[in-house]
Amino acid sequence: MFAYQLRIAWKSIRRNLGHSLIVAGGIALGVAVSTLFATVRHSYAKDPLPGKSDSLFYVRLDSWDPHQSYPGDIGPPPQITYQDMAGIMRSDIPTHQSGMFKTSLYVFPPDASRGRPELEQIRLCFSDFFAMFDVPFRYGGAWDRKADAGPESVVVISEEMNDRLFGGENSVGKSVRIQDRQFRVVGVLDHWRPGVKFYDLTQFQVQAVEPVYMPFNWVRPMELRTAGNSDGWKSPSQFGFAGIFGSETAWIQMWVELPTADHLARYRAFLDAYALEQRKAGRFQRPLDNRVRTISQVMADFKIVPEEATATMMVSLLFLLICSLNLIGLLLGKFLARGAEIGVRRAMGARRLDVFVQHILECELVALAGGAVGLLLAAGGVELVNLWTKTMFQRSDFFQVDWAMAGFATSAALVAGLIAGLYPALRVCRIAPAVHLKTQ
Amino acid sequence: MLHMKNVSKVYRTEIVETHALADLTVHVGRGEFVAVMGPSGSGKTTFLNVAGLLDTFQRGEYLLDGTDVRRMRDSAMSRIRNRKIGFVFQGFNLMPDLDVFDNVDVPLRYRRLPARERRERIERALEQVGLSSRMRHYPSQLSGGQQQRVAIARVLAGDPALILADEPTGNLDSVMSHEILDLLERINEGGTTIIMVTHSAECAAHAHRQIHLRDGRMVEVDEPPSLVRGREPGLAPGLG
Repeated sequence: MFAYQLRIAWKSIRRNLGHSLIVAGGIALGVAVSTLFATVRHSYAKDPLPGKSDSLFYVRLDSWDPHQSYPGDIGPPPQITYQDMAGIMRSDIPTHQSGMFKTSLYVFPPDASRGRPELEQIRLCFSDFFAMFDVPFRYGGAWDRKADAGPESVVVISEEMNDRLFGGENSVGKSVRIQDRQFRVVGVLDHWRPGVKFYDLTQFQVQAVEPVYMPFNWVRPMELRTAGNSDGWKSPSQFGFAGIFGSETAWIQMWVELPTADHLARYRAFLDAYALEQRKAGRFQRPLDNRVRTISQVMADFKIVPEEATATMMVSLLFLLICSLNLIGLLLGKFLARGAEIGVRRAMGARRLDVFVQHILECELVALAGGAVGLLLAAGGVELVNLWTKTMFQRSDFFQVDWAMAGFATSAALVAGLIAGLYPALRVCRIAPAVHLKTQ
Repeated sequence: MLHMKNVSKVYRTEIVETHALADLTVHVGRGEFVAVMGPSGSGKTTFLNVAGLLDTFQRGEYLLDGTDVRRMRDSAMSRIRNRKIGFVFQGFNLMPDLDVFDNVDVPLRYRRLPARERRERIERALEQVGLSSRMRHYPSQLSGGQQQRVAIARVLAGDPALILADEPTGNLDSVMSHEILDLLERINEGGTTIIMVTHSAECAAHAHRQIHLRDGRMVEVDEPPSLVRGREPGLAPGLG
């Protein structure tokens, strides 16, 4: 019966093609606008590491000023100090863990023909970074823990950097000069485009991932400072570069992988014990407030999804609603005009439900066609937004229409079709058959 | 087959009340062929609509094949229309974008019959009306008489106990009209009850008896003896 009603609905669409195109166009417009703005919001809000995001945790410790809390309403400082990173990385509870920060250094092409040295963003991290975040490799792989300890002169570079420095060929084993030192390439990343740069949410989270990664412990020999945010409440006791390592300045992002609830409970206990131990040494004088948060939690804590994105999405949904409401009259006129056919079908034994389903199906078929066009328009709109934000974001692929958004567009179209068609379909199915037959 | 007692149907607007049926009492026995006559506005079509469960009524009693339809739900009425009643309209009322086969298929679809049975019924019905060769023609490709025969095939395919025909020859010339009336007579001879609304005395003469309506009331029952045939013994001829 469903297939029959689908066929009848399709015939009706073809019979009134112009009318159907107008209805589909109205829905396409609404779906395009709502999908565009939903995509903008979704690009910020989506799970950046599906399947793993619940076992990865961002660590924050409240080592802040005993006399006043960290500014704002986010609780403890967003990053931790070097001395705390060194302290908590002694734990063997996490299966992977890494402190990390971003710096800027000059990277030299192997020869002058490949351009001039450029100041590049470089992430200093531990080898666990790559396994923890499921970072894909095209060539080679991550450095090992021995290279962490050394530190050894090794780097991992992004595919873009590999294209620029080595023309895209397998560069594992080749040398690249960073500042005044030579580093050996041990790995080249494959295409890696997490939406939000989830592992560092402390600063402009939409930027692309860094093009170069090197062992964290190069921080001292190369006297590297963070190119990101740092927060402090107390002057270092020692002047100069060495002072930052024993200071209360927080500049390191700390991630751990805790695969089970038991790991998490034990790690929380470990952090509390660490903080209490530090309290005995005169630090951590504030009430205990150690945060171990999943990716989605920390994204919420740091308000990664801009309120404007949510607001514009809501407005765009209202626009879709208005588009749908405007189509009610059009569909009602169309359905009432075919009263004679409805009357005959009712006389032949069609129930109200049969008539209703047939007309709703017709609305939904038209809506799906409109939704498909709307999705294409939205995809075009998203590319325009990417072009518009390219300079600001330093990437042109942050906003993406993915399967989730295709699903959104389809659902939005179906809901719009239902809103537009519900009243007309109910109206025609409730009219007594004799009244329909009088209209012939 | 059909028993109406004191049935009233009033159309109300803000300024006027029209009594389309006023305490109408009619009895039609199984296998009868009854013609309903009367001037325009006498309530013929309203009677047919109420009889066919296409419209409601305010007062009275209506038993169709022994079933009280007064407080029946819409789905139950649809089921009765689908299984027990066949409609033949003056304007044929075929679906213009369905071919002959699919038009005849309409009531069978709502009966949710399996495809094979539907096909057999459709082919048989079209054969009965002599249109087997036009199965894939569209209504616009048929003459008026052929279209009405398709409409009758649509009824036959459903094998109803009661056929309600509203001016079935009203849009046809005299030759076509005779064809259709002959067809209806043959169907009636097979035991199907037929109630036919008509303005034409010539058409009405094909019926076993005639009911005359005026202002929604029955004013006369005319039973040409020469045409009465095959009626079940003991059936009341008119008023109940």
